[in-house]
Amino acid sequence: MENELNRVVNAIPGLVWSAAPDGSVDFLNQRWCDYTGVSLAEGLGAGWQTAIHPDDSARLQDHWRSLVECGEPGDIEVRIRRFDAAFRWFLIRAVPLCDETGRVVKWYGQNTDIEDRKRAESLLAGEKRLLEMVAKGCSLTAVLEAVCGLVEDAASCYCSVVLVDPSGTRLAHGAAPSLPASFLASIIGRPVNADSGPCAMAAYLNEQVIAADLASETRWVAYEWCPMALAHGLRACWSTPISSAAGKVLGAFALYYDEPRTPTPLHQSLIERFTHIASIAIERTLAEKATRESDARKAAILDSALDCIVTIDHAGRITEFNPAAERTFGYRRDEVVGKPLADVIIPAWLREEHRRGLARYVATGETRVLGSRIEMTAVRADGTEFPVELAITRIPMEGPPSFTGYLRDITARKQSEEKLRRSEAFLAEAQRVSSTGSFSWRVATDEITWSEQVYRIFELDQAVPVTLELIGSRVHPDDIPLLDDMIGRARGDGSDFEYEHRLLMPDRSVKYLHLVAHGTRDEDGQLEYIGAVQDVTERRLSEEALGKVRSELAHMARVTTLGALTASIAHEVNQPLAGIITNAGTCLRMLGADPPNVDGARETARRTIRDGNRASAVIARLRALFGKKDPTTESVDLNEATREVIALACSELQRNRVILRTELAYGLPPVTGDRVQLQQVILNLLLNASEAMSSVEDRPRQLAIRTGLDEDGRVRLAVEDAGVGFEPQGVDKLFEAFYTTKSGGMGIGLSVSRSIIESHQGRLWAAPNDGPGATFSFSIPCASVGLTARSFGAS
Amino acid sequence: MVDRSLVSVVDDDESVRESLPDLLKEFGFAVQAFASAEEFLASDCVGQTRCLILDIAMPGMSGPDLQRELTLRRRNIPIVFITAHPDAAVRPRVLEQGAVECLFKPFSDTDLLEALNTALRVR
Repeated sequence: MENELNRVVNAIPGLVWSAAPDGSVDFLNQRWCDYTGVSLAEGLGAGWQTAIHPDDSARLQDHWRSLVECGEPGDIEVRIRRFDAAFRWFLIRAVPLCDETGRVVKWYGQNTDIEDRKRAESLLAGEKRLLEMVAKGCSLTAVLEAVCGLVEDAASCYCSVVLVDPSGTRLAHGAAPSLPASFLASIIGRPVNADSGPCAMAAYLNEQVIAADLASETRWVAYEWCPMALAHGLRACWSTPISSAAGKVLGAFALYYDEPRTPTPLHQSLIERFTHIASIAIERTLAEKATRESDARKAAILDSALDCIVTIDHAGRITEFNPAAERTFGYRRDEVVGKPLADVIIPAWLREEHRRGLARYVATGETRVLGSRIEMTAVRADGTEFPVELAITRIPMEGPPSFTGYLRDITARKQSEEKLRRSEAFLAEAQRVSSTGSFSWRVATDEITWSEQVYRIFELDQAVPVTLELIGSRVHPDDIPLLDDMIGRARGDGSDFEYEHRLLMPDRSVKYLHLVAHGTRDEDGQLEYIGAVQDVTERRLSEEALGKVRSELAHMARVTTLGALTASIAHEVNQPLAGIITNAGTCLRMLGADPPNVDGARETARRTIRDGNRASAVIARLRALFGKKDPTTESVDLNEATREVIALACSELQRNRVILRTELAYGLPPVTGDRVQLQQVILNLLLNASEAMSSVEDRPRQLAIRTGLDEDGRVRLAVEDAGVGFEPQGVDKLFEAFYTTKSGGMGIGLSVSRSIIESHQGRLWAAPNDGPGATFSFSIPCASVGLTARSFGAS
Repeated sequence: MVDRSLVSVVDDDESVRESLPDLLKEFGFAVQAFASAEEFLASDCVGQTRCLILDIAMPGMSGPDLQRELTLRRRNIPIVFITAHPDAAVRPRVLEQGAVECLFKPFSDTDLLEALNTALRVR
């Protein structure tokens, strides 16, 4: 029976033993002896203790002694050496056998292999430690080194973690606590590809790479990776990609052995677990880094933003208030954080609405303001209200909603908008009412912009781009030279200009435009004209009608004047003539009497001569009648006087579509004389020139007025027209009083003009041009000569 | 020429007052010359004057003014107007008012004589 029992006990697949009440072992089953390699003879008594791990031996002896003393069952975990010297964890359980009196008569025991459990527990504890490290925010290097340490302990290998750098193209250092630096140096910085080595390949392929024996390995030849690893005493390498939760490769986790090795399932599960932990640690670090950067960016944005940025929580309390908001609203951040936004920046009369809106949103998610730009009134610390533009966004976070508001003080914008709106409205209305449009013209690029009204005047669609060609297509063909002249002049000196010209519309109607432009230069020196175009058709038509009436009136007035003049001349002359004829008749009768009254005849003849003289005196007096009264003498700037006349005659010249060219010499010395009389001469010459061209249709009506200084110190003024001109032999007749080539004129102009000039010690003359027209010129001594001008007509 | 009818001349122009009386005397009239209408009215010749040679345009009272004044005083003196203003419109106006003739200066001695003869026949 005992033998039978022995066989059974020996057959139990566990380590079984028994001991005497004093604790000395009296039985060890066969399996115990086989496992430990300790023979029964050696193991009996206290000999079994040689199979216990030295670090556990003392603890076990203490525990066993205490069990024996108190006779209670118990268990303890210790490492037991296997026959091959490998230690494994065992649970040793001892149970006492007692007699009726309760005295221990025998101890029975069983040792159970708990190595796998212990290993799992140890790994779990390691994992827990690692996750705590991650959670505590330990550095990535520290976490990864701990990972390596744990795995190295668990798998008796060397470990490394390499990272894929942010660009995703190179390997970066992670951790490798037990590998030589020279070995790592040959891996870090390598490109992520299939040729650089097992880790680069694993990261590149996102697949585990197993190199069981580097001595026979044929991959990574290009980088001579295997010889390098072999030189560091490594024979096997298993590298596994570390992936993020989203599947992105973050790095590679490698186990190295100094002998050829293939991973077991245990290894694989180990690798899998710690790769996962490494991935968590790396992702967490990256996320934290991103958060830190984003926080820093956010802080920088908040601080430097020109807009006010205010964040509020779901209850409407301020959680952030940036420097711009401090400046704008006049509160310090620490004064307002935690206070309801409504009480701080929203005027009292709008607060209720704000509260209702926020409450409605929190309750229903319904909103009118989120995600759109609105304008509202805000209030500053000092109570002043001002307009703001507001954009509110919800901060995308879990939990009760919170919001960011971007506010901008738009007082200035509002004011300028209002101003602009008003002035635009004024302008548009003014343009419409006055039929005046505005335009700009960049001369260098011929960029032209028109106001609406100009398009309306030209009867063109606003979509049509404005070009000089387009303008030319509308300008009356006869006025094209005028346009060309205008453009040429504008391109030249950039001086302001003013023109009147006509448009010929597609329906053959004619419009009269009055154009005024002012030249400006921008900061680049580019010339730009800003101008106004007025449709003066109606005015011109009524003016033309009026002009007709006026010219008829003028004609009548001239005729009347002439008539009055004739009557007065006749009266003055007829009186002495009547005397002469009466005396002559009396004389004849006295001489014919019998006897002849010679004395009486002599008396009448004497009176006849007297009356003849009287008649000639009348003529002299008549000439004096044409003269001006009270002439004055002053220093006259002929250029200035000329400009005044041009200003006076401008509309008349334009009416006649005359193109005036003014070439006034610079630094002309003054002349002495009667300014008004000289201006009458200039005016007379201009009007004559204009009139001389009134029938000219086949060429531009060019009129040039020039001043200059002659060699003999005389100031000269010339007016050149392109009119009908005159026959050379007729020059002298031109200046005769009452000679005229004009249908309705008295012809007194030129003779009077000549008289005036002569009274200034000057000379007035005319000469035909080489081309069409004539040039009338006068020259008078300049003031330095010291001449005193005599008044015209004061004979 | 026992009855030398008195012809009065009223003209502000001295040359006329000098030359015309000589011619009228050659015609055989008695002549009195006055420089103004006022001077004539103030003289004692108004009642004796058989014909009045009267200038139209004069400073002060004009020829037509004197004509009206005489009509007012019922002095029915035949009047021959003379004028240096070649205004044709004035002639019918003064004729309508009863003037015998209106001569434009300068006029010939025969035209004047004819007018005087007409004037004296009217009486």
